[in-house]
Amino acid sequence: MDTNDQYGGHHRTPGRVRLVVAAGAAALTLSAALATPLSPARPQAYAADDGGRVLTVAVAQSVDSLSPFLAVRLLSTSIHRLTYEYLTNYDPEDNHVVPGLATRWESSPDKLTWTYTIRSDSRWSDGRQATAEDAAWTFQTMMTDPGAATANGSFVSNFEKVTAPNPTTLVIKLKKPQATMTALDVPIVPKHVWEKVDDFSKFNNDKDFPVVGNGPFVLTDHKPDSYVRLKANRDFWRGAPKFDELVFRYYKDQDAAVSALRKGEVSFVAGSPSLTPAQASSLKGEKNIHVNDAPGRRFYALAVNPGARAKNGETLGDGHPSLLDQRVRNALFKAVDRKAVIDKVFQGHAVEGAGYIPPRFTQYFWKPSPGQELTYDPVEAGRMLDRAGLRKNADGRRVGKDGKPLTYRVLCHATDPNDKAIGRYLQEWWGELGIGVTLTCLDNVTDPWLAGEYDLAFDGWSVNPDPDFVLSIHTCAALPATPEDTGATDNFICDKKYDELYARQLAEYDPDKRAALVKQMESRLYDLGYMNVMAYPNAVEAYRTDQIASITTMPAKAGNIYGQDGYWSWWSAVPADSGDSSGSSSSTGVVIGIVTGVVVLAGVGAFFARRRRATADERE
Amino acid sequence: MTADAASAPLGKPGARTATAYPRYLAGKLAGAAVSLLAVLVTSFFLFRLIPGDPVRFMTGGRQVSSEQLANYREQFGLDLPLWQQFTDYCGKALTGDLGTSYQFNAPVIDKITEALPHTLLLTGTAFVIYTVLGIVLGTRSAWRHGRLGDRLNTGLALVLYSVPSFWLGLLLIVTLSVGIGPLPGLFPTGGMESGGEEGFAYVLDVAHHLVLPVVTLVAVEYGQTLLVTRSALMDEMGSDYLTTARAKGLRDDLVRRRHAVPNALLPTVTLIFINLGRTVAGVILVETVFSWPGLGGLFYQALSVPDLPLVQGLFFVFAAAVIVMNTLADLIYPLLDPRVGR
Amino acid sequence: MTTGTGMTKEQGSSPVRSRSLARRRRRDSAARFWRQYRTHRAGLFGLGALLLFALPALTAPLLVGSDVDDVTDAPGGPLEDPSTAFPFGTDRFGRNLLGLVIWGARVSLLVGLLAAVLSVAIGTLIGVTAGHFKGWYATVTMRITDWFLVMPTLVLAIALATVMPRSLLTIVVAIGVTTWPTTARLVRAQTLAVETRPYIERARALGGGHWHIMSRHVLPNVMPLVLAQTTLIISSAILAEATLAFLGLGDPTVVSWGALLQDAREAGAVSSGHWWYLVPPGVAIAVVALAFTLCGRAVEQVLNPRLGVSR
Repeated sequence: MDTNDQYGGHHRTPGRVRLVVAAGAAALTLSAALATPLSPARPQAYAADDGGRVLTVAVAQSVDSLSPFLAVRLLSTSIHRLTYEYLTNYDPEDNHVVPGLATRWESSPDKLTWTYTIRSDSRWSDGRQATAEDAAWTFQTMMTDPGAATANGSFVSNFEKVTAPNPTTLVIKLKKPQATMTALDVPIVPKHVWEKVDDFSKFNNDKDFPVVGNGPFVLTDHKPDSYVRLKANRDFWRGAPKFDELVFRYYKDQDAAVSALRKGEVSFVAGSPSLTPAQASSLKGEKNIHVNDAPGRRFYALAVNPGARAKNGETLGDGHPSLLDQRVRNALFKAVDRKAVIDKVFQGHAVEGAGYIPPRFTQYFWKPSPGQELTYDPVEAGRMLDRAGLRKNADGRRVGKDGKPLTYRVLCHATDPNDKAIGRYLQEWWGELGIGVTLTCLDNVTDPWLAGEYDLAFDGWSVNPDPDFVLSIHTCAALPATPEDTGATDNFICDKKYDELYARQLAEYDPDKRAALVKQMESRLYDLGYMNVMAYPNAVEAYRTDQIASITTMPAKAGNIYGQDGYWSWWSAVPADSGDSSGSSSSTGVVIGIVTGVVVLAGVGAFFARRRRATADERE
Repeated sequence: MTADAASAPLGKPGARTATAYPRYLAGKLAGAAVSLLAVLVTSFFLFRLIPGDPVRFMTGGRQVSSEQLANYREQFGLDLPLWQQFTDYCGKALTGDLGTSYQFNAPVIDKITEALPHTLLLTGTAFVIYTVLGIVLGTRSAWRHGRLGDRLNTGLALVLYSVPSFWLGLLLIVTLSVGIGPLPGLFPTGGMESGGEEGFAYVLDVAHHLVLPVVTLVAVEYGQTLLVTRSALMDEMGSDYLTTARAKGLRDDLVRRRHAVPNALLPTVTLIFINLGRTVAGVILVETVFSWPGLGGLFYQALSVPDLPLVQGLFFVFAAAVIVMNTLADLIYPLLDPRVGR
Repeated sequence: MTTGTGMTKEQGSSPVRSRSLARRRRRDSAARFWRQYRTHRAGLFGLGALLLFALPALTAPLLVGSDVDDVTDAPGGPLEDPSTAFPFGTDRFGRNLLGLVIWGARVSLLVGLLAAVLSVAIGTLIGVTAGHFKGWYATVTMRITDWFLVMPTLVLAIALATVMPRSLLTIVVAIGVTTWPTTARLVRAQTLAVETRPYIERARALGGGHWHIMSRHVLPNVMPLVLAQTTLIISSAILAEATLAFLGLGDPTVVSWGALLQDAREAGAVSSGHWWYLVPPGVAIAVVALAFTLCGRAVEQVLNPRLGVSR
């Protein structure tokens, strides 16, 4: 390759050119033709019953795995909720535990043995009876095979032994008492199908459709990044779902999902994590669309690095030392205008933050007393920082103990617009205090997070009906054993007083007394200032009322539809009578689109025809 | 991309013996092999620079003991020294094994072969259309050089060439898919199929989904083919033999079709191949905007984890597409142009 | 490939006179260049469009105030429709979108220019040295160049931007490092052509070192080509900046046109019918990219009419 631009104008044999061009075109056609049959054709085995009612849900997440032993993403675990029974479920009214595959459960006086009665009216979709043996096998596999413990291993880490003395009795022996034995969110799989799997760490459960299950729906098809299809289980013990089919269709882009809803291509859109305020307000005015703007189950907080360390006492990461001072943490939070966050960023689709647990869990919701509350007061925040010894220098910048101007690194999720938006506000609010902010936005914050390499971070968790998990992640016990391990800890909080309260609530069996202890923990967490809850974002989702007549939210009064603890929403959804009008509207779209295409093609054809004629004329 | 004019295949002037082509061929193939190897090396080392521990990404912050982490490291060969990981990677790559995706827990090659047909369908369709469109319009433009039609033609091509493809895609979604004002949404907002159709209805459904992404790609890509065809043809029209041909009394149209166009197509043919390779790699944005389940979307998704084996594999595929197409152009060029390589 | 600047007659009479002569010749050729450039209507249009964008961008602090991107005291409500107060409406923070587009021009143009300069600098360095030092050095560098040439630019730039921390510098480097090979090829070819000229032989015979020949003789001759190339690369660099910012690989706190488009998309502007949030930044990108392309083509044609217009 020595000279440049060899394009010259000399005489060459045109015939050969034509041949090569033709060959190229043929090759292309071939590749295009190859492309089509290669895309898996839809299996004939499960053709949607004609005239069947289909509920289509737009999702933004792709499936990580369809194996219940591996799946961790919300979409995948939601699908497992729908296709496999768990031992217990939560009531959609008020989240109390209700029977699932187990009808009753009791613990021994020493609290170490739990006995579940397994229902005898649940059948696998291949006709076999679901028994205690299936449940025992599922747990045993997770206990013995590390590959099977990938997703839900933490549920069985305290299990001593699991047995099924008879088809309706499941016995679990524990190493030490565990209060969450009625909240084992583990899909029970059919032993006779799964015992043939040799490597659980590789098996994705996505080859043999329909997948044998016993939930309200049966998984019938999955095409990666396109759709997941489920068929109603007519024999479901709680009663068959009202829709005949449930399809999760993948829309990478939320705008695409919203416009698909608008056009009736999908029945429901949840957004990830929720619709934007602009989308919600534009959908509100739309005919036949209902926007469900309900209190969410998430809290949205500003976490502070408390000087990350492991259980063995070794420190890790490089959190800013000035943040070890509680006055500094509280001062920073006092300079965060939570009202502006709600009004400007969430535009009203959130509730101002207070305690750790969102208000929708009324039992556990806690609010700081007026004297305790860190109200927005930037002036007072400045004074608090002065008192903490972080004074302003001549340039108006606050200086740390090391004499250097303070700049905090705030870790944010590049995928969450709210993080970025609030990050900009933080820059300006704390800039007023004389503190610099570097916003580090990453698609995946896991690594700096686990390594403790941040000063502050945007944090948020979905809270379960039983708050044990979200409380446990702030105990010293959750710290990693050594800096090399990954602990269950959220942001390395370790506080003796908090831990004492945690142990007491875990041992407390009286619900009211336990709730009181939980509130004390929230109060402690609030004062510590390591976990500053800014807001409780609403679940903002929308569905078409001409396709879905009614659907159960959770909690029933005002709650979310997508991502419930249970299968209530899709199981309960009632098709609207005019359900098929949407189908025709979308097919109208197809017709119009095709007509347009034909017109364009005809135009192009006419153009060439005209040219041909013109050349023919010229040719005599 | 401005790179294309110079990335045209270049022959070795002076080598005109009959045996030169096999040698030329061997040289080009060897060059391509070296390039592919270099891509393999780059894809391996470049992404090792992403800060952070892949195992921690893999376990997604779940509670895992250091033993479990060590297990994962062993399973994915991350406990080995870097050079050994590299030789393993290369060795496996030769057998078509590109490793296992962290996030999908499936062989990378499976994920790629799953998405590749979708990308080929999209780029293939767009490619055929914009190439034909570019050549046809370019020829017309050159023939009416300087006239209003030519100016409008090149003007529009330049304008569309300057438009960011993702933005054009978004605008098309707003206007033709969401619908604006009284205009209803004519096309699906994204994805490749509605799901549920079979047989001919399925083909129509996919075609319907294909329209907007293809229009976007064609709009931003055809301009280049047009301009190259036009300038090549204009060069050709200044040639002596054409003047002679015309002087002999041949009709303009005949001269154009018999002589000028075929010769001018030569540089265009090479451009065509290079474009095809580039379009496969350049489709990331369009796939992202239209939620098309192809390689581009997969790449973007893999980068955000980061799913190193998948990222590496896709990077390799993208670069390989360009290399293979460039090599094909190199190989075909001397067959077309007798001055080169024989 | 030859350029119109007449340097071939450079002969040493008295050094002072030769320098003033050279200066005059340069002035003359600049004037000639401008006279010819003026005849290209598209080039003039491009130049005009550039001025139209460059002036507000340069005077933005006076024009819209440097607090236009402040979120805490944004003047309007989020996503307001266009009005007399906000001709382009407001963004999702309630900021004046017109002001942001003007402010964003600074970043987009700056990144585009810096990236193009970086790219062309690398390309020129490689091209001149590879053309001057033949032998294994040229072989190796040209192999590397060819290899970079076949790398899919966007994919490589995305990969680089992912690997490095998110900042403007990252974007500049990612674009610069991936787009230089074209320039290197062109400059090398030109260098080879220049070095065959007799006066280079003479300079060499008179004891001119490598550095002297490259900097005093080769470089001035490839400069026009480099200039045209820079103009063309700025256009693609601006598009690349917008692309990377749109994919979320830019600095999230910096306002650029690409970042505005990403903001718009994240706010759900596409599906909620706020099209006016999308249009201005996109039009700005397209017009500026087009303007640079037109200027580049005009420069190219002036310098080398025979080259035709290959882009």
